[in-house]
Amino acid sequence: MTELNTLSGQVHRVSSALGEPEWLLALREEAWKRFVEMPQPWIEKTDLSKRTWDTGTFSTDVEKVPQEVQAYVDGIEHSYALFVDGLLVDLKLTDEAKAAGVVYQTIHEGARLNGAVWRKHFGTVVATDESKWAALNAGLFVGGVFLHVPRNVQIEAPFETVYVWTGKEFGSYPRSLVVAEELSDIQYVETTFSSARDVKVASSHVLEVVAMPSSRVHVAAADEWHKGPTYFLTRRAKVEKDADVRWTVGDTSDGFGVETIENVLQGSGATGLIRVVGLGYGREHFELTASMKHVGRNTESEIVMHAALRDRANTIYRSRTEIVKGAVGAGSEQHDRMIMIDGTARADAIPMLLIDENDVNRCGHAASVGKIDPTQIYYLMSRGIPYAQAMKMIIWGYLSDSVDALPTAGVRDLVVERIERELGR
Amino acid sequence: MAKPDFRVNDLRVNIDGKEILKGLNLHIQGGEIHAIMGPNGTGKSTLASALMGHPHYEVTGGSATLDGEDLLEMSVDERARAGLFLAMQYPAEVPGVSNANFIRQALNARLGEGNELPVLKFHRMLQEKMKALSIDPEFAERYLNEGFSGGEKKRNEILQMSMLEPRIAILDEIDSGLDIDALKIVANGVNSLRSENIGFLIITHYQRLLNYIKPDYVHVMMQGRIVRSGDATLAEELEAKGYDWLKAELGIEDETVGVEA
Ligand SMILES: Nc1ncnc2c1ncn2[C@@H]1O[C@H](COP(=O)(O)OP(=O)(O)OP(=O)(O)O)[C@@H](O)[C@H]1O
Ligand SMILES: [Mg+2]
Repeated sequence: MTELNTLSGQVHRVSSALGEPEWLLALREEAWKRFVEMPQPWIEKTDLSKRTWDTGTFSTDVEKVPQEVQAYVDGIEHSYALFVDGLLVDLKLTDEAKAAGVVYQTIHEGARLNGAVWRKHFGTVVATDESKWAALNAGLFVGGVFLHVPRNVQIEAPFETVYVWTGKEFGSYPRSLVVAEELSDIQYVETTFSSARDVKVASSHVLEVVAMPSSRVHVAAADEWHKGPTYFLTRRAKVEKDADVRWTVGDTSDGFGVETIENVLQGSGATGLIRVVGLGYGREHFELTASMKHVGRNTESEIVMHAALRDRANTIYRSRTEIVKGAVGAGSEQHDRMIMIDGTARADAIPMLLIDENDVNRCGHAASVGKIDPTQIYYLMSRGIPYAQAMKMIIWGYLSDSVDALPTAGVRDLVVERIERELGR
Repeated sequence: MAKPDFRVNDLRVNIDGKEILKGLNLHIQGGEIHAIMGPNGTGKSTLASALMGHPHYEVTGGSATLDGEDLLEMSVDERARAGLFLAMQYPAEVPGVSNANFIRQALNARLGEGNELPVLKFHRMLQEKMKALSIDPEFAERYLNEGFSGGEKKRNEILQMSMLEPRIAILDEIDSGLDIDALKIVANGVNSLRSENIGFLIITHYQRLLNYIKPDYVHVMMQGRIVRSGDATLAEELEAKGYDWLKAELGIEDETVGVEA
């Protein structure tokens, strides 16, 4: 099979460029095999038949950091890592984090220097064979961080991984692993700057979070996926006993993507919140599933998603609550609201409840899709506010709570700026 | 600035292709208070909405000018910035937009670029006016009209009016849903604005509001036009005797807009 042969060459290329040990090359090769074997996946609202599985060719040439990104990074005072096309350009760990014994390094260094923890958790949250794109990532991952927070370490300042994806033809395959030991409390942020790329490749991003008992993790992201590649994003946390994992994701995209954000509430008393605020524009096609899987007893979850859509954007937000047999006393809430700003945009809000346990505490869901209410516009205008400003005020009325939940002023400003840019035209 | 001069001439308005206003005339100048009364469904709110420029209402004839400027040519926000204000019978709720932010944006839009009120000054002024209207200070940060009671919404309309200082203010049933204390507060709010620089058009069903706000002129609407005008005693007469005598005098059987006169 030529596909296997030519592309498995990529695996070797990547692995040897990164100077990886044998066991890691073997792991990649096994994953690659799974990727090739797995059939074309079927996704309910996303037609993949015209999308490619090409990856492009890996190269180690580092592109320049765009000025906008450099300015952004210069403003960061907490720990951060900066990757350009998956290649590390800069990494800073604060003295506070260092002193507390936090490990924050590339996923590749992690494998080399902290192999025991790395191997214990890698692939346990996002399994290599759970999807064709998860296998693709495990075969080709380049870039991403290994963040290990020791027991009882609480640090308010976030760890922020900044990704730049330039016009290079190689797909993007970052992979990060966050391990928060018992009683730790941290914030982890992923910030993405990408340019529109005239390349047809399949990209796959993976984030695994292990939240050990009684830990608290806030994961945030400022995403922007532009047209060109197909983006598959898999972000998942395993939430152990009495731990809490909160997600706040701000997405401003015009690209083609399929994303899953999931908490597996594994331990009893585990809790979680997924908050997504999205602004789709251009010819975006984005299918996002925010999912809460209740496994432990007395687990609690909440999903809050808000999107506003412009142009010909087509966005599907699915909120999924699964309560497995034995997960007694679970409580869950879903709120999903989408507004189409332009008549040409399309939105789908799909609530899903998969409940196999009779003893459920609470399970509420509300989903709505609509246009801006013209009587609201009229009311604001009747006080002298011009149409464009009235529209913006109403949209911000939907979105601002979620944007405010982002953990740093820098990320908040970035997401606000991106939303303003698209609302203001 | 010269005192406001507001003229409506032979105004005709359709909703969904049906004629609701059938030639209405009105002339209001600064310092004057006009009251419009009339049974349900006779076109009072239609007049107010059409003047404000609600997209649902189609003006098919006539004219409306403020200080000589053609209102009907203007968009809704332009009318407001020209000095027209409508306290609505059913104001919209806008979740996520705070009352204070809304009023500030509106005021700044009215003052125009470069003349914006400094934030602190704005908040001081807002709190002052809220106090005068007995509105709890926390309403500044509440979302616009969301979850407000009927009476709170009405007071909030008057708050906006007193902040924006319009040249012509139309109040559509500002008294409905108000208890007697709130009614006095709202009437006070209106009276404290009274000057040569503002003219009022007050739509109401009840004399009790007019006990507190003395109108200079009272008009009665039926079948989409003004059928009788008089002074404050006309309102008293209507309160005492109802509309039937007037209908009989005018030879009107059905006063709503549905029938042809
Ligand atoms: N969207 C519409 N389509 C058709 N007819 C309408 C529409 N909206 C209002 N009307 C009619 O227009 C007429 C005038 O309504 P309007 O609201 O102006 O009356 P009003 O005098 O303000 O009554 P009220 O005292 O009850 O507030 C009524 O007969 C009403 O049914
Ligand atoms: Mg009415």
